[in-house]
Amino acid sequence: MYTELFLLAVTILTAGFFIPVVLCNRDLRIVRTLALSCTILSSVILGLVSVVILLGGDPIAFTASQPFAEFSLSFVIDRLAAFFLLIIAAVSACVALYATEYYEHLGGGSRRNLLTGCTNLFILAMVLVVASANTISFFFFWELMAASSFILVMYEYDNPETRKAGIFYFIMTQLSTLFVLFGILALAVQTGSFSLAAAGSPATPLIIVAFLSLFIGFSIKGGIIPFHKWLPYAHPASPSPVSALMSGVMLKIAVYGLVRFLMDVFSPDLWWGITILLFGSLSAVLGVIYALKEHDLKGMLAYSSIENIGIIFMGIGLYVIFSVTGFSVYATLSLLGALFHSLNHALFKSLLFLSAGSVVHATHTRDIEHMGGLARRMPWTSALFFTGSVAIAALPPLNGFASEILIYIAIFSSITEVDSLLKVLLLVCLALFALTSALSAACFVKAFGSVFLALPRSAESAGATEVSRAMLAGPGILALACIFLGLCAYQLFLLAGFSVPLPDMFLVGFLLLVMATLIAIFLYLFASRAERTSETWGCGTHFQQASAEYTGHGFSEPLDIIFSSIYRTRIKNERVFFDKKNCIFKEGTAEIRLMKVFEEYLYLPLARFGLRLSTIISRFQNGCLDTYLLYVFVTVILVFLFLGWF
Amino acid sequence: MTFDFILYLAINTIVVLATAPLFISLIKKVKAWTQGRQGPSVFQTYYTIVKLLKKEVIYAHPSSRIMRFTPLVNMAAILVAALFVPLVFVPEPVGGIGNIILFLYLLALAKFFMALAGLDAGSSFGGMGSSREMSISAIIEPTTIIVFAALAFVFKTLNIFDMFAFSAANGTVTTPILILTGISLFIILIVETSRIPVDNPETHLELTMIHEGMILEQSGRNLALMELSAAIKLTLLMALLVNLIMPFGLATTLTLAGLLIATVFFILKGVVLSGIIGLFESSMTKMRFFQLPSLFAMAFFFSTLIIIIEVFA
Repeated sequence: MYTELFLLAVTILTAGFFIPVVLCNRDLRIVRTLALSCTILSSVILGLVSVVILLGGDPIAFTASQPFAEFSLSFVIDRLAAFFLLIIAAVSACVALYATEYYEHLGGGSRRNLLTGCTNLFILAMVLVVASANTISFFFFWELMAASSFILVMYEYDNPETRKAGIFYFIMTQLSTLFVLFGILALAVQTGSFSLAAAGSPATPLIIVAFLSLFIGFSIKGGIIPFHKWLPYAHPASPSPVSALMSGVMLKIAVYGLVRFLMDVFSPDLWWGITILLFGSLSAVLGVIYALKEHDLKGMLAYSSIENIGIIFMGIGLYVIFSVTGFSVYATLSLLGALFHSLNHALFKSLLFLSAGSVVHATHTRDIEHMGGLARRMPWTSALFFTGSVAIAALPPLNGFASEILIYIAIFSSITEVDSLLKVLLLVCLALFALTSALSAACFVKAFGSVFLALPRSAESAGATEVSRAMLAGPGILALACIFLGLCAYQLFLLAGFSVPLPDMFLVGFLLLVMATLIAIFLYLFASRAERTSETWGCGTHFQQASAEYTGHGFSEPLDIIFSSIYRTRIKNERVFFDKKNCIFKEGTAEIRLMKVFEEYLYLPLARFGLRLSTIISRFQNGCLDTYLLYVFVTVILVFLFLGWF
Repeated sequence: MTFDFILYLAINTIVVLATAPLFISLIKKVKAWTQGRQGPSVFQTYYTIVKLLKKEVIYAHPSSRIMRFTPLVNMAAILVAALFVPLVFVPEPVGGIGNIILFLYLLALAKFFMALAGLDAGSSFGGMGSSREMSISAIIEPTTIIVFAALAFVFKTLNIFDMFAFSAANGTVTTPILILTGISLFIILIVETSRIPVDNPETHLELTMIHEGMILEQSGRNLALMELSAAIKLTLLMALLVNLIMPFGLATTLTLAGLLIATVFFILKGVVLSGIIGLFESSMTKMRFFQLPSLFAMAFFFSTLIIIIEVFA
């Protein structure tokens, strides 16, 4: 029954790809709406199926086709896969609802049909990656996911910025595919099969190689520092629903891959866990520190995704460490934290990307310094973005807090029991984790404050109007889900069969409501009810100017200075004077440039090395027939010599 | 949820609301004395709050709903956080109330709203205040969490109720840990409640204000709520310090006599600590903003030391 439902959902998604791309590729709104309705419908079905399996239903398993004995496209949906299917379904439905309106506002005519179709293909690929039962189909759909998302990123290909982002994304994502392929092949050589089954222990060198290359492959896809550079390029360049899908869901597929391989295939060592934990902590802290400095709204959200994937990787690293050292309770706790944070991040990050899309649509800029005052002009969008900000800043009683506290509790309670050196490591990670979460609060105060509060800082911002209903409904559902998952986290875990030491957030939310009501009643009865609107206190200035407001740059300046050693700001100040004693100033240039550390010290040297290598190799290719004949002759001689010797 | 617990909720809220303004005024009084002034009455904060409640509220033109909701949310979050720190009577914890991490994040929730309200009116003072507040709170956060981890480590629990119950039953913990926890918690108290040398609660000078800058646009009943919630936050952190280090008098069973004695003891301990805070503030100058990270590093060092002592002792 559920197998058929799953197949039905897959069929509907496939139809959603073929309808706008093949069947009717004319520039008609109805076609695109139909295709996006397919997305919503199949998401609802997928959501139902996954909830049933999550709550203890039987896993689905079937084989689609088996051309050879060893090669088969077969699928299995167990609880882990069902959980990630739920993430895909929940986000896709809301994004599709939003896109019905948003895609119509894009330029590009019938190209929008391709965009709609590829959105469905992308979702389909992600669904099938998660459902894959062996490494062959996993790899096949992983590549399909990469290819379809590349088309989505390149939508506005006439923009040079987008082209650069697209190429960057393409190279990184193919590198990821390459590493995943390498890991899968290494596993196949070791175990002799492509199934997702235990590779045996203890770890042989080949298994370690397989783990490392899979880890790098998944890290590139997930945006773990130092493999993260594609995110801040690709997210701002792509249409907002695509960013929401990529950041909300695709990064989680990388998380799924890592968890699946760690749980089912490998039997990890302690140092694997420590590696994952350290990369996770590094990404979390650096991600949020870079997010603070970013003034492109969608770029900021991209860096914040890096931070959150870092937190999820921390949870996975802790899971490995605790399960290797024999603390299965804490291992479960950290894994649940990581998985729950994946779901939560999918929800609030797509909520933020979608409402950021609405803001960009209304103001025609992505620079937060040109926004401001939107809370009064776009009240609903601001409320949605606000919900997302509170959730991502991990503030109670919303869902971001519920998952982060699980990881906190795992560290806090394990710290008394693990051995001394691990204690030190956990303490360091705890401190970094706390720093991350506090910095992300600062980051979203800055984002919300600069975008929505105070006076508008540009004419576009002053003239912005609220977006239409479909563009509010999509993120609206996500916002409600954030609130629901936060308040009912404890009850939901009980329902799924896990008793976690989570504080009852429903009680806390209830107490907050009671207190607020009591205060409101007290004020109504005993305080003066008079109120008046007047000018902002400005120390006697004639009128308030938007240019005198605190900007986003200004807001993050103290943290810029404190973390200046991480940002590596380069300040250049050249002056030319008329006289010899440097008194009369003639002209000069001053420049404050943010160094892109990873790009300048890691990516560019690697790229230059590749270029140099290919220059050397290309010397052999001079296009002259004589030279090629010489190559053939030399080769033949060498073959003769070789055969003669041995 | 038992009857005792509901009674605890009521008692704790009433005690904190009643005593919080007293401690704030006491600190001001001590500071005035050290400066050779008479200073305002110790009941001045009560009068101020009553006066503010009678005044009208003035909202700035550009301000949005954030400005209207912040005082309410801020006060509600602080009051819920107040339920996490038993002042006079320690019941059995219910449903994760008393979780030390949740306590910390409820304070962060209040701070988040306050910082946004600072930006809302578009005044540069407000922006400066919230920028500095969020920066400071971000860099003190690792220290705070390590101190809390040290507490969790020493008391083997995550719940403030259990910590208090433990120290009330067993008396104070051993000396080095006591001293180090005391120092670290004291630094956190100073930072979190915007006191000298981090911030100066008395001035409205552009260069020095952080907390005052954020609430500069608040007026009337909203300002009353902001002032009261700042006072309650101070009281909570003071209670956390005194009830862990000097737990005597803390009631663990619900009797009227026990409650009265506990309340008297709590006020006495609070008065002593207010005096210490006042003297500490008077003996310091406000630090340059960018020298603060080194102060925080010191607190971080002390709290890590506690854990290292515990680990290798």
